[in-house]
Amino acid sequence: MANLIGKSEKRIDGYDKVTGKGLYASDYYNQFPHMAYIKAFRSPYAHAKIKKIDYTKAKALPGVIYILTGYEDVRWDDFPKMAIIAKDEVLWAGQAIALIAAETEEIAEDAVKLIDCEFEVLPFVSDYYEAIKPDPVSVIDPEYETRAQGFQDRPADRATNRVSPNIVGAYYMHTGDLEQGFKEADIIMEDEFSVGKKTASPLEPATAICKYEPDGGLTMISNGAGVHGVIKEHICRVLGMPESKVRVIQPYMGGSFGSRLSPYVELQTALMAMRIKRNVSYRFTRKEVFTAGPSNWSCTTKVKMGAKNDGTIIAHDYYLCEEIGACVNNTFFSGRLSSSGAAPCYRFPNMRMDTFAVATNTVPAAEYRGLGCPEAEWGIEIMVNRLAEKLKMSPVDIRLKNIIDPGERDIYGEVITSIGLKKCLLGVNEVIKVEEKPVQDGSVWKRGKGCAVAGKQNTPLGRSEAKVWYNSDGTIQLFISCDENGMGATTAMGQICANEFGVDLKDVKVIKGDTLCTPYDNYSASSRTTYNTGNAVMIACADCINKLKTEVARVYGLNPKNVEIKGKKAILKGTYVQEVDIPPLFKHWTMFTQGNWGLQQYSPVVGYGVYCPAPIHQWGPDGKSDRVWNWFQYSACAVEVAVNEETGVVKVVKIASSADTGNPINPEIVKSQIQGGVHMAIGFTTMEEHLYDEKGAQSNANFSDYRLPTIGEMPTNENVFALINPDPLPDGPYGAKGMAESITVPVGPAIEEAIYQAVGVRLNYYPMTAERVLAAIKEKKAREAAK
Amino acid sequence: MSEIEKIRVELTVNGKHHVLYVSPCKTLLEVLREDLNLIGTKRGCDDSNCGVCTVLVNGQAIKSCTMLIPLANGCDITTIEGLEREGGLHPLQQAFIDRFAVQCGYCTPAMILTAKAILDENPNASEEEIRDGLHGNLCRCTGYTKIMEAILDVRDGKYKESCGEV
Ligand code: FES
Ligand code: FES
Repeated sequence: MANLIGKSEKRIDGYDKVTGKGLYASDYYNQFPHMAYIKAFRSPYAHAKIKKIDYTKAKALPGVIYILTGYEDVRWDDFPKMAIIAKDEVLWAGQAIALIAAETEEIAEDAVKLIDCEFEVLPFVSDYYEAIKPDPVSVIDPEYETRAQGFQDRPADRATNRVSPNIVGAYYMHTGDLEQGFKEADIIMEDEFSVGKKTASPLEPATAICKYEPDGGLTMISNGAGVHGVIKEHICRVLGMPESKVRVIQPYMGGSFGSRLSPYVELQTALMAMRIKRNVSYRFTRKEVFTAGPSNWSCTTKVKMGAKNDGTIIAHDYYLCEEIGACVNNTFFSGRLSSSGAAPCYRFPNMRMDTFAVATNTVPAAEYRGLGCPEAEWGIEIMVNRLAEKLKMSPVDIRLKNIIDPGERDIYGEVITSIGLKKCLLGVNEVIKVEEKPVQDGSVWKRGKGCAVAGKQNTPLGRSEAKVWYNSDGTIQLFISCDENGMGATTAMGQICANEFGVDLKDVKVIKGDTLCTPYDNYSASSRTTYNTGNAVMIACADCINKLKTEVARVYGLNPKNVEIKGKKAILKGTYVQEVDIPPLFKHWTMFTQGNWGLQQYSPVVGYGVYCPAPIHQWGPDGKSDRVWNWFQYSACAVEVAVNEETGVVKVVKIASSADTGNPINPEIVKSQIQGGVHMAIGFTTMEEHLYDEKGAQSNANFSDYRLPTIGEMPTNENVFALINPDPLPDGPYGAKGMAESITVPVGPAIEEAIYQAVGVRLNYYPMTAERVLAAIKEKKAREAAK
Repeated sequence: MSEIEKIRVELTVNGKHHVLYVSPCKTLLEVLREDLNLIGTKRGCDDSNCGVCTVLVNGQAIKSCTMLIPLANGCDITTIEGLEREGGLHPLQQAFIDRFAVQCGYCTPAMILTAKAILDENPNASEEEIRDGLHGNLCRCTGYTKIMEAILDVRDGKYKESCGEV
């Protein structure tokens, strides 16, 4: 059996998915009898007091089973109750006020319309600038106790020590001597940057089906992430249920991109099922996917950099604020996560980071592919491009001068063990050749080129376990609980397992995501699956192989050292045979043996593996520590765009993107992630953004008005280049690391630079919509005319 | 809605004739998924903007979430379940696997059916024409590059059978 690592094996879920046979959460609807359906009555206002609410008419509607409100006696523990249901006060338009279970979805919908609710509208805060201005409106009315955990009074502005009631957390870091750095700089540039709010929008809306078990337990089938570490844990905690009575199954997921790590629909469905002791389902409408949450968190950054004439960046003063919506959910908000994007790429010998997070009366934010890094690195990468221009340097050279080399320390003081970023940058530049001017055709479409780089940390997120069975017929079963959002993790895990045993991928059956039989894993986030679960799989395989060696050795009276396992064969040293088939060594039990020792038919040899990355070390008052993150993934992107100078429309005509994935387990799956990642980033940096009406409600919460990129936004195939430039990760399985997040990060700043090269306008905000680009072009013309 | 009288609808789905009594308010998507248990056709938005509900109605790629069932009466419908044959997968299905054009797979049945409609109508469709034809089908995962590769492979005869007659 040839080495399977680095081989593009076909996806193990391909057949299921091209035939429509693979089941997704909503495909289980037909399988459950006596099902109740949930619909929610949601707040139309961004901020209001619930003065009076009358459910009488809704309750009286035939077919309505139960109406669940914020007054239920539930042990919320440390889960933000407001994310599930409101009480007294609503904090964003879309927050659930009542959940109605009825015999059909239609009846539940009718009942929603019969709820009579009187609001006292309160002033609201819808963006970062309002949230931090002097004496801002408070996102949560001080009269109420709905103030969430995590809200702390922190200085919003260190200089003035002004405290905003909307600040939820802060983080501060400095290294070197910033003042001295700026003194030594030959040029200093600064600017402020910001981005819009976006929704990950997996095509399958959040869906949960909860089967009520006669023993008072429940079985949850949902497309949420983290069967153990998110869904089961939260159900047990919030509902106070015994672990023995909660089972969570994750069928195929129609995408997540981080958004399904927030178990809103799961908790709502489970609560209802336990109230009415029936099977219950809840499927978000597309509108709810937008307005019930989560969105990403947007960031506002201020970037001030000082550089020497040779391009060395010696001082960086960085300010960042995360805008997190109306409540702190199960993420940590202090600006630390997003600002980590400032760390992995460049040396920045003298740097200060001053970051915090602020709440607003908008949909609560949560993970979105990249964890704030696209937002955080946007301004940094643009600034590096601007420095290059000012210094008359190539944007490639200035980066090569400042990019960290393997073995160096980052700003926190951590050693970077794997960084292939220079190779990535050179790779994409070879395709796009950013230093060469593009050919202009004399039309209104002006061409420009640009590039950028990015890094994204991997947060150590706890434990992954794996279990492997070597069956008596020589087939192998792998049990894991990582998520399969679509990224191909189960195929990669299968490849690792098959490789360890020396068998074909088809000989390994991967069983995934069922808390009843698959062992613990926190969840798939921070691009950790290949690394974390992958290591657990390798350990489990080694354990199983060792046990198998011991058993085979017994049969032949050997030291297990002298046995080697190669798929269905054992290679023996020092006895009368050199090679034996393993399956015949498994004996059928008889009355005379009882099968109480040795290898027995239908009783698999079991291996078990646990992998936990080393814990991080608490940082000091200077924010530094020798272990803040785990490892870093890297990407570079270069683009050629065409900008219509009359309409402002931006078309990406050619794109090259490169990923440092460590050693890729399955290169074609990685390439498909690269292509999907750049496409997603083209969407959110040129098109997608939440818009709000005068009530503070999202006015484009549907796919007609919130446009996702289609195939038309992707360059034609010959103009898409997906490259892999690995620097093996020493502690990754076969040197692999994750890669799905950093891909999206450099796309926006590369496009921004290309727009500038094409039509001479700078943008500090994305999405860089046609309207914004056109406005900038007009402004530039007016400025020139005035001269 | 429950008070509305059911109507009689005849459909041929994947070559099989069905007589159904259903509410006229139901969409073709709901009838396929709920009444016929053909769950390979997905639902993503309900307002004709994501394309994951695409099926072939008399050979045309149609978004079934916005087609009310009376309009489908008498029509010949192909869903993803109708593509696999005894001898194996439809070339487009095989090409999607071979070219890694599938990630989460939620858009896949609709993508394959839309591609089939495009190639059935014009077996020599150019990349530009295929792009136009796929414009109404969203994919959040793949960036479409590999989807296009798969379709081009089938167009270029890399698979023994040509696209067509199912
Ligand atoms: S479900 Fe989205 S177009 Fe039909
Ligand atoms: S593969 Fe996930 S939406 Fe297309």
